[in-house]
Amino acid sequence: MKSISLYEEKGSVLNKIAPESKILYIVAALVIPYLIGSRWVSLGFIIASILLLLSAKVIRKTVPILGVSGFVLITVLLIQGLFRAGNVTPILSLGPVVFYKEGVNFALGIVINVLNILLSFCVLILTTKPSDMIENFVRKGFSPRFGYVFISIFQIIPQMTETMATITDAQRSRGMETEGNLFIRVKAFIPLISPVVMSSLINTKERALALEVRGFNSTIQKTFLNDEKKIPADKWIQLGMVVAIVAAIVFRIVLVVMYFM
Amino acid sequence: MSKIEIKNLHFSYTENEEILKGMDFVLDERSTAIIGQNGAGKTTFVKLLKGLLRPTAGQILLNGADIAGMTVAQLAKHIGMVFQNPNDQIFKNKVIDEIIFGPMQIGMSRAEAEKKAKEAMAFVGIAGREEENPYDLGLSARKLVAIASIVAMDTEVIIFDEPTIAQDYAGKERIKDIIRTLRAQGKTVITIIHDMDFVADTFERAIVFAQGKAILDDSTKNVFAEKEVLEKAYLEQPNVTKLCQKLGYEEVFLNVYEFIEHQRKLG
Repeated sequence: MKSISLYEEKGSVLNKIAPESKILYIVAALVIPYLIGSRWVSLGFIIASILLLLSAKVIRKTVPILGVSGFVLITVLLIQGLFRAGNVTPILSLGPVVFYKEGVNFALGIVINVLNILLSFCVLILTTKPSDMIENFVRKGFSPRFGYVFISIFQIIPQMTETMATITDAQRSRGMETEGNLFIRVKAFIPLISPVVMSSLINTKERALALEVRGFNSTIQKTFLNDEKKIPADKWIQLGMVVAIVAAIVFRIVLVVMYFM
Repeated sequence: MSKIEIKNLHFSYTENEEILKGMDFVLDERSTAIIGQNGAGKTTFVKLLKGLLRPTAGQILLNGADIAGMTVAQLAKHIGMVFQNPNDQIFKNKVIDEIIFGPMQIGMSRAEAEKKAKEAMAFVGIAGREEENPYDLGLSARKLVAIASIVAMDTEVIIFDEPTIAQDYAGKERIKDIIRTLRAQGKTVITIIHDMDFVADTFERAIVFAQGKAILDDSTKNVFAEKEVLEKAYLEQPNVTKLCQKLGYEEVFLNVYEFIEHQRKLG
């Protein structure tokens, strides 16, 4: 069964550390540059994220993600550089096309922010198994019912994709065209979707029964099948992130206070 | 009567893992069971027959014509296939509507399709249930709806994917009858199946798939005599065959009737 998660087990340190540490890293990467108000800090986090992704051997998986957003970012750079209101200082002219410093500067701010957000999320998503993350949340008091709902998404969607493929085969075997113009595709919709819905409903009922016979709603304290994902250093990583965030908040407050004094 | 020639058939999903590694045989009027361990390539093979997958090398000829030139929908007129799980195909609210869907897709008029559907329902033993909702039927009856929906298409070749799943004794006997009758009507019946007793009772020919090759291809009796080869393919002999061997009989018996017949002759 094909997984819909982008996660891949590479045995790296990032695979082994607690998901919470990585989540705190995201929070730090997003909050600290905002509090300090310097894009150099964002740049620092971008470099840190890239180094982390390199160490986890997953940097190649960011290429398609960056490719899609890169296209949008380039258009932002072009539009802002050329047409932003308040553009006065030309920095580059190619014939009649003139880029202005203010616009480019503004666009660079956006590019850096987006890259920082994307890469820091990649650090979490590309190295964390979704079910490990949810399980750690449940350990910390998150409702197991909601935890199950989140985890099951990762199982049910690939299963439905597979059922869909079998159903398509079954209907094509009965002479139904599924490829071609819009009219053919619309006509094929009901025969394809009805069995998917029906079998999903049947599956849901059976899944609920199967969960219940294994004590899903039991109120007794539950144990976990898997060991908790964490390493001794996690404590220090998390502490470090919290300290950094708090320091940035203090820095900001001091800055504001000084401004008013 | 149809003839399907398989010539040097190769197939792989990914480049470095070949599923079918060169198959050569001819499927003729004999009812044929394809047996083999899970992952031996049985399902892949029948999907190739139906045109749902295309060979990476080699050819499949249906009555002399390469099926590579036909779409799945065109092939559906000639080769029908009953899927393992009836829930994979049923989408109408009435049994009769479900059964006429296939025939109408391959170009029959409504009247003709209804006639074929009624015949098929009587044939599989669910006559009179036309107006019921297929999902109100039990799994075994729903399977019969699926079989009827393919039989009604009146194709020369019919493939059954695991026909005995979820069937009790009566259901299995009924499916045996269906297969034998289709055979007697001159249709080519092919099945992929794990139930060896059912194969021994019902099919004239058995082909053993193992690791992407057809390692045995003979009459059911001769195939089930090859205990060692079957074991290598992780297959069992039918129960009666095993029992009679343990009792010390040299001859291969496929089922109870054969054995009793043999004993009666001895007097």
